[in-house]
Amino acid sequence: MSLLRADIGLQQGAFSLDARVEAPGDGIIVLFGPSGSGKSTLLAVLAGLRAADRQTILLNGRDVSALPPHQRGIGLVFQDARLFPHLSVRRNIEYAARRAPQGAPEIEEVAQFFDITALLDRRVRNLSGGEKSRVALARALASRPDFLLLDEPFAALDGARRRAFIQVLIHMHRAWRLPMLVVTHNIDDAAALGSHLVALKEGRVVAAGEFAQASRTSEFQALLDSHDTGATVRLAHSQHGGHWLRADQVLIATEEPKAISARNILPATVQRLTPESDGVLVELVTEAGIILSRLTPEAVAELALAPQKRAWALVKAHAL
Amino acid sequence: MLSGEELQILTTSFWVAANAVLWSLPFAIAAAFALSRPRFPGKLALDAITHLPIILPPVLVGFVLLMLLGRRGPVGALLAGAGIQFAFTAKGAALATAVMIFPVFVRSIRLSFEATDRGLFEAASVLRAGPWDRFLSVALPLAGPGILAGMVMAFATALGEFGAVITFAANIPGKTQTLPLAIYAVLQQPGGEAEAGRLAMLSFLLALLGLAAAALLQRWAVRE
Repeated sequence: MSLLRADIGLQQGAFSLDARVEAPGDGIIVLFGPSGSGKSTLLAVLAGLRAADRQTILLNGRDVSALPPHQRGIGLVFQDARLFPHLSVRRNIEYAARRAPQGAPEIEEVAQFFDITALLDRRVRNLSGGEKSRVALARALASRPDFLLLDEPFAALDGARRRAFIQVLIHMHRAWRLPMLVVTHNIDDAAALGSHLVALKEGRVVAAGEFAQASRTSEFQALLDSHDTGATVRLAHSQHGGHWLRADQVLIATEEPKAISARNILPATVQRLTPESDGVLVELVTEAGIILSRLTPEAVAELALAPQKRAWALVKAHAL
Repeated sequence: MLSGEELQILTTSFWVAANAVLWSLPFAIAAAFALSRPRFPGKLALDAITHLPIILPPVLVGFVLLMLLGRRGPVGALLAGAGIQFAFTAKGAALATAVMIFPVFVRSIRLSFEATDRGLFEAASVLRAGPWDRFLSVALPLAGPGILAGMVMAFATALGEFGAVITFAANIPGKTQTLPLAIYAVLQQPGGEAEAGRLAMLSFLLALLGLAAAALLQRWAVRE
């Protein structure tokens, strides 16, 4: 059964949003789309911060469409954290905990989880971008939402801090069993986080469902190809150790590699080869599941890859 | 050193100004908060009513109050039945002053509300805070320093109120005679210039102190 079901229609000038979203009770749903596709608007409508021309929002079977934001039980972590500047870090989290229904986690427990115990008595204006993001997450968790929306919470972070934050999100999702919908326009973030995908383009859902399936649809691939970053990536559709692999980060060897820097070497069998306009998608069956690798046609010919051929999938540790 | 009479004038002035500020504070906060909202039905009318005392001659404001709250006025007669009298009393002086300082008071508080990031109210609402809760826990504390600065400014303005007070509360020594009214009274007497000068100096010093305090609070508010 879906935890969240929403049917939203909105017209604003030349822009129109017409989206049906279904979020399952578990996993992390990634709401992906280029800038201006309506992701943040959709989030604002779901949270009740913005009215739509047409909206039906069911959370756990309960119609929350007509409820004000504070009664919906839908939390929202904003891109800019929006911590209360007149309160300390501790008081920011307490603010949420005091208004949460029974069973809200203890402040110290939450602080420890997000590694912000040392910040508890600090003023929020003295925090770095990464610290603010962690406090915003802790505050949202303390309010014990039934469903948590996150609007590009790592937009201000880069490099290692971004990857670390994504791990915190995944950890948070698992530890607290908190259903989440995360907005991003970055395919790497989407691939690292999502178990489910909803892709928006110009206010319309172009792909939706389990990440593995939805990310392989031609509609989603077309969205990626037209994406304003110009990125053209293919995603492996196997969750290896809980991480998504990008197919262009998976190498193939036809002899067992030795003395190689790649940390993950998986014995595999080639299952299928799918020629594409810019390469060949090789489907490999491994003990960790199916992994996709995108190679050039020349590489496929050189390795003489064919169905049932024995191979090894090589994945660099940082790709996980 | 101040004479007993001067001390009495100063006491009346402070009492009237303090009461005018304190009694109008909740109304000023409510009006300022409402006017800081983007739009709502009746906003223009509320804005106009709030600023009316600036446009009207102060004597006219005093006269309107007298017509409404005088012993024979529609409201005054009702209040008189309950033993409450405003006209020609210190309470009346405070009321007239409150009406006159209201626009200045609302304006300075409104600026504080407008300066608050509206996104914080959204953040509070998704943390399960209802409208009153958001007002009390986010809007009011964030506007706090600005409200305090507004109170000081309104107090300083109240100390100088003349036209509406003399019309509604008269110029009764020891009862409704505030500093500006006392200056006016001594100027009506031959040879009263010296005393008027002393009172004027006192008034000037108080105004300077008020301005300095308001400026300091504003600076603190910005830093906060």
